[in-house]
Amino acid sequence: MMRLVWRQIIGHPVRSLLTVGAVLVGVFLLCLLRSVVTALNAGVDAASSVRLMVQSSVSLFVSLPISYQARIAQVEGVQAVAKWQWFGGYYQDPSNFFGQFAVDPVQQFEVYPEIELPAEQKQRFLERRNSCIVGDQLFEQFKDEWQIGGTIPMIGALFPHPDGADTAWEFELAGVYHSSSGALDNRTLFFQWDYFEKTADIEECGVFVLKVAPGADVTRIMAEIDALYENGPQKVRTTTEKEFQRQFVTMLGAVPLFVSWIGGGAALAILLACVNTMLMAARQQVHDVGILKALGFTDAATFRLMLAQSLSLCCLGGASGVLLALATEGYLVGVLGTFFPGYTIEPQTVALGFGAALAMGLVAGLLPAAQSARLNCVQALRGA
Amino acid sequence: MSEAMIQARGLTKRYQRGGETLVVLDGLDLEMQAGRFYALMGPSGSGKTTLLNLIGGLDHADEGELVVSGESLDELDGAELAHWRAANVGFVFQGFNLIPVLSAFENVELPLKLTPLSRAERRKHAEYALELVGLKDRMRHRPKQLSGGQEQRVAIARAIATDPKLILADEPTGDLDRKSADQVLELLARLNREFQKTILMVTHDPHAANSAQSVVRLEKGQLQGIEDNPAPTARSAGR
Amino acid sequence: MLVPLSYNLRSLWVRKSSTLLTVLGLGATVAIVASVLALQRGFLTMFTAGGREDVAVFLRPGATGEGDSMFRRDLGLRLIKTLGEIESDARGPLASMECYLAVLAKKTDGGETNVPLRGVQPETFRLRGDEIRIVAGRSFTPGSDEVIVGRSLVNRLQNTHIDDVIVLNTTPFRVVGVFEHAGAFASEIWGDLERFMPTLGRYGPNRVIAQLRPGTDLAALSARLEDDKEVPAKVVTERAYLESQTLVFGTALLVLARVLGFIMGVGAIFAATNTMLASVSARTSEIGILLALGYRPLPIFLSFQFEAMLLGLLGGLLGCVLALPLNGIETGAMNWQTFTEFAFAFQVTPAVLAEAAGFSLVLGLLGGALPAWRAARLAPTVALRQG
Repeated sequence: MMRLVWRQIIGHPVRSLLTVGAVLVGVFLLCLLRSVVTALNAGVDAASSVRLMVQSSVSLFVSLPISYQARIAQVEGVQAVAKWQWFGGYYQDPSNFFGQFAVDPVQQFEVYPEIELPAEQKQRFLERRNSCIVGDQLFEQFKDEWQIGGTIPMIGALFPHPDGADTAWEFELAGVYHSSSGALDNRTLFFQWDYFEKTADIEECGVFVLKVAPGADVTRIMAEIDALYENGPQKVRTTTEKEFQRQFVTMLGAVPLFVSWIGGGAALAILLACVNTMLMAARQQVHDVGILKALGFTDAATFRLMLAQSLSLCCLGGASGVLLALATEGYLVGVLGTFFPGYTIEPQTVALGFGAALAMGLVAGLLPAAQSARLNCVQALRGA
Repeated sequence: MSEAMIQARGLTKRYQRGGETLVVLDGLDLEMQAGRFYALMGPSGSGKTTLLNLIGGLDHADEGELVVSGESLDELDGAELAHWRAANVGFVFQGFNLIPVLSAFENVELPLKLTPLSRAERRKHAEYALELVGLKDRMRHRPKQLSGGQEQRVAIARAIATDPKLILADEPTGDLDRKSADQVLELLARLNREFQKTILMVTHDPHAANSAQSVVRLEKGQLQGIEDNPAPTARSAGR
Repeated sequence: MLVPLSYNLRSLWVRKSSTLLTVLGLGATVAIVASVLALQRGFLTMFTAGGREDVAVFLRPGATGEGDSMFRRDLGLRLIKTLGEIESDARGPLASMECYLAVLAKKTDGGETNVPLRGVQPETFRLRGDEIRIVAGRSFTPGSDEVIVGRSLVNRLQNTHIDDVIVLNTTPFRVVGVFEHAGAFASEIWGDLERFMPTLGRYGPNRVIAQLRPGTDLAALSARLEDDKEVPAKVVTERAYLESQTLVFGTALLVLARVLGFIMGVGAIFAATNTMLASVSARTSEIGILLALGYRPLPIFLSFQFEAMLLGLLGGLLGCVLALPLNGIETGAMNWQTFTEFAFAFQVTPAVLAEAAGFSLVLGLLGGALPAWRAARLAPTVALRQG
């Protein structure tokens, strides 16, 4: 029976290829869009439960005095506190968008154990005041221009260099890190806080990232830190990393919903196309089905024949679509990395792709299969 | 006289066409013996093909009894009828009705897939059937790559692949030239002669009917009579 | 001698279910592309509406937007007092210092977002004139802890109704009015510059805006200020400033529309080709008759091509009809440049519809090419035999 299914598929190569192509396109798009949405949520989903963020209660853009760091470190259960300051500069052109942060190097590695880099690179970063490390994805993007040990000139849009707005800050590239968790993307540049503080003459910092001791009461710690500055000078807000990441997602507003709509619309359009194709295929096979029935094949067998054709085509298209999505993953990380640093094809996305293809195959095959099963073989033979 | 292959009593079949009821078979009584070669003749609209379809279990009669090869066909439902067809009847059509996307071999093998035979046995049976019709060397060809006569012989090979007792042929020579037609008629006669197949062939061509042992005549849905043919032509033309 | 068009119309009608499914599929594709275009259009209009050519925006050199721009207060004042190009009226120069900060706010649906907070001087209202209209309550009293909120924020954010209280750091501000603006200001909270700066710990404004005298050479002004020893500044027209702010998100939407259009278009072309191929193969004998009657292959090619484009156009019309209800629906999105959320509406303009319809025609054209070619290539004898 499967041989006949394949022969029918191969027997109409153009139609079959077009159908497979349409499903391929639909499933690829579905995988792409879902991955974009999961990329948005990557930071939220991968957030660590032992990391807390202290920020101004007013705005992300209002800084906190750095004297807060020592005070927060004294709160019981806090293991390490790292300063984070958004640098907001750009490399060569403002469209080269990636995050840059001034951080406390020692504490940074304590707070983010998922940052992995070779020991000698890490050592170099800790030792050299004007050095920086970059994520491997970011390094990949500029690998022709950057090299370890070389200099990365950054224009400080937010913090102009004291020698003039046109003067670039120069960071020595000490190493390339890889973050093994989605909580920290691989497209960021981190450089030493001390160098930043001395050069920009700044005594404020945007966010403190802290790590709490295992088993410590996170809720109590958050309340205690918030209470420290309840009456100013700068009210703070302590959140879990998950909450902190979520605010960036909610800021996107209806975008994820919109993307889901698009995915649904695309799937619907492809489904309609498949239903149409399978109906056409069934119409062309009326005569064949008549012969099969005359030979003694049952209605159920011809039903399966039609359904199997639809499922085969759609599964083939689905598999190709998923493969295409997987194959283009690396390329798209480069292209979309600016907006979606966490772009990755999750196993669930692969499952969604296959599931959608299977569902399309089932739905598209049902009507033609039922028609074939209902077919009266005398009329089918005569109709030809 | 040998046993009866087909027994029909008061067989009636009606069709609705444009609000009018058309009586195609009108209380037909008929009996045909096993192992004989029958030609079924009659003018257009006399009910030849309808009768053939009923006997082959492709359709149900509205009234009457029909026993074919010992089975009461009017008591079988769709699926049972399908199984019965697979085991008992081989069809040969005017338009050959091969599945275009399958090779000659695969077309012949198709009905064998409904049997419990193993792959190797199916292969053996199909090859034997093709050898019998003289087309073993063309078994990898698609229907489109064969001539009309060859296509019809593949169809005959398919009809006999499962070794049914009854072969039903509907105008098997209608689309063929004289030479190919003669080959097909001879083949049918040989199947009857050497393998004792009961053959019922619908035809309007007296020349074709001449190769049968008996000629059944239908008119307006009723039996006109059965004439025996003392000297069937194909028999004398046999190898 | 062309094949009569009624032949194609009848053929589409005879194959109703197939035609319908194809048109629905094309329609879904076109609707999605149209809605992304409508989103992009709405975003651009919203953002650049009200951007004036005669108003200049002064930023710190190197700044990409007001978020990362900053002036010392005294230098900002000096800029306003010393620049001859600034228009004046009886009460003084039409120029104002503004501070800008994206502050955290709770959305009515529970989430959090960044909303732009703008501290302005009375001159801002003189400069803006009718562009800013109070639609409820009154404007804030200078020197007091009062704010007015943009119309788009009401119902989107908590504490944005009149008499609600917004706490900034440790200071409560009372909402006293709601204002309307055709552009992005409608998604902002405004208050007195002099009250916002100390509350937020700012020492100076983020930018200076000024109405320029007619005939001012902006390029010359810009070049002069860029190298100014006392108050270096970057000057652009307000319109150019707003356009620069839409660059990332606007481009992203346009790219999204193009990419989606391309990917879904390929799928739709496959589907249309399939439909037309089946249509051609079902009509093989009809084509044979046409050929036997003396029709040449080219008219037959054109006939099928026309039919495919008709399918495309029907799909396009359906897509437009599906996209139309989106017109005017408001949505929020983040402006990547300033990290703030603002509201804008889908705008299904005639241009958007025309682009969508054109897209669908192209889909039909490409989808019909192969089947039409096949039909035209048929030999009359073969075509007649296959009937």
